[in-house]
Amino acid sequence: MRLGFLVDLSRCMGCMACAVSCKAENDVPLHSWRLRVKYIDQGEFPEVKRHFVPLRCNHCENAPCERICPVSALHYLPNGIVNVDHNRCIGCASCMMACPYNAIYIDPITNSADKCTYCAHRIEVGMMPACVVACPTHANIFGDLDDPESEISKYLKEHKDVMVRKPELNTKPKHFYVRGSTVALDPLASERPEGYTLFTEVKFLDHIGGH
Amino acid sequence: MLGAEVTFDVALPKVVWGWLVSTNMWAKSIATGSFLLGLYFIKKYPEKDAFFRKWVPILGLIFIGITLLVTVLDLHHMFRFWKIFLFAHFTSAVTLGAWVVSGFVIVLLISFWSWVTGNKKLFDKVMLPGFVLAFFSTIYTAGIMGESTARELWVFPAEMIQMLLSATLAGSAAYLLLMTIYKVEMEEVKRELGYILIGSAFLSGMMYLGEILFARMHSEFSHRAVEILTFGSLAPMFWLGIFLTFIIPIILVGIANEKKKYEYALLGSISALVGLWLVKHSWLLAPQMLPLS
Repeated sequence: MRLGFLVDLSRCMGCMACAVSCKAENDVPLHSWRLRVKYIDQGEFPEVKRHFVPLRCNHCENAPCERICPVSALHYLPNGIVNVDHNRCIGCASCMMACPYNAIYIDPITNSADKCTYCAHRIEVGMMPACVVACPTHANIFGDLDDPESEISKYLKEHKDVMVRKPELNTKPKHFYVRGSTVALDPLASERPEGYTLFTEVKFLDHIGGH
Repeated sequence: MLGAEVTFDVALPKVVWGWLVSTNMWAKSIATGSFLLGLYFIKKYPEKDAFFRKWVPILGLIFIGITLLVTVLDLHHMFRFWKIFLFAHFTSAVTLGAWVVSGFVIVLLISFWSWVTGNKKLFDKVMLPGFVLAFFSTIYTAGIMGESTARELWVFPAEMIQMLLSATLAGSAAYLLLMTIYKVEMEEVKRELGYILIGSAFLSGMMYLGEILFARMHSEFSHRAVEILTFGSLAPMFWLGIFLTFIIPIILVGIANEKKKYEYALLGSISALVGLWLVKHSWLLAPQMLPLS
């Protein structure tokens, strides 16, 4: 079994239900995110387009975070999920330096590394990840990549425009995007001016949690 | 369609590894560099080895102590440091580094005991393993940087050579500093240390120049990181570091060697050691300035 995720970006409407349900399900503290939705505006009036991009851990098959973790706090589960053992983590932040997707954070309460686990605790009891359940447009498609009858496998077979983030790094992500674009998936393809924009302040934090 | 702009996102953390990690690399360069060069001079000038048999363990223990202190302080769970030995994961350069540095500390303690007791043979016995451990203690950080897949500016073989050159530069600067302060009369050793410092500074400076020029071609990420380093917010620190580490020491130590006025070497050594920290710090920060997602 190889569990994977697919987001059909044409269905995402940026409602943040996935991000909120993830926060609630996993008790993610303030200023920390396992899953977030980024808005990117492209073009100039009247030719404008808004991209919504849900971003979470890619659960790479060749995960740099698993390789660099000195104590195996980040480890593979038999179903392909890259999981975190909070009690083993020493908080060296090497995983944050290695992850090319900015998917890992230091939890300011536990002082340990944390990230999306595809809701491993829910999957264990046969439930879907919280973000999949919360999505009102079924933009999040989750399932077994090894099962040709799973919805995700069929989706991947049917669509020719499947993309992953930073494929050139050979991390082999198991998180796919359909109907995406470079602007949506490449962080350097868009400007990131700090300051107040749409509803909030786009900014960088000077410190990482609890240090 | 024209340009694109992020209009809504969460606040992202910027600097994950800061000055504690830069200080780790800087202090480790002095510790391992003084050890490796100390062995070389003990072997080359056995009749004048007393200076090095004293300062190899002292410099080594002080600066590896600083390295270990800042390493542990940088951990978000500093009291879990022991887990690196109990749950060692050997694909990680962090783990390999912890084991290698621990071995190096043991060798330094033995060399210190050898100096205290005057038992030269004891140190002689650990010279070879000490050389191997000091060498790998120098380069393991390059392995960590190489494994930091997200930071495309850092490339493993180049970082490894930079670490070795930093060690010879810092080690020679530390010895020149001590020899001038304590007025040690070993002119040929001072001259040789001066040439090692000049050679290391020149080669390391050329490597940085090469990396700056060619990193632009590797990927968009390394191109942007180099832009920040050379023309952006980190440029003042980086260029000051380059000036202090490579240009000033080559001139001052060159004058010292040519005119046998070693007070110039003192200034050149201080400049090299201060500049080395600035260069390492700016090189560490540059790829952390860019968004990854």
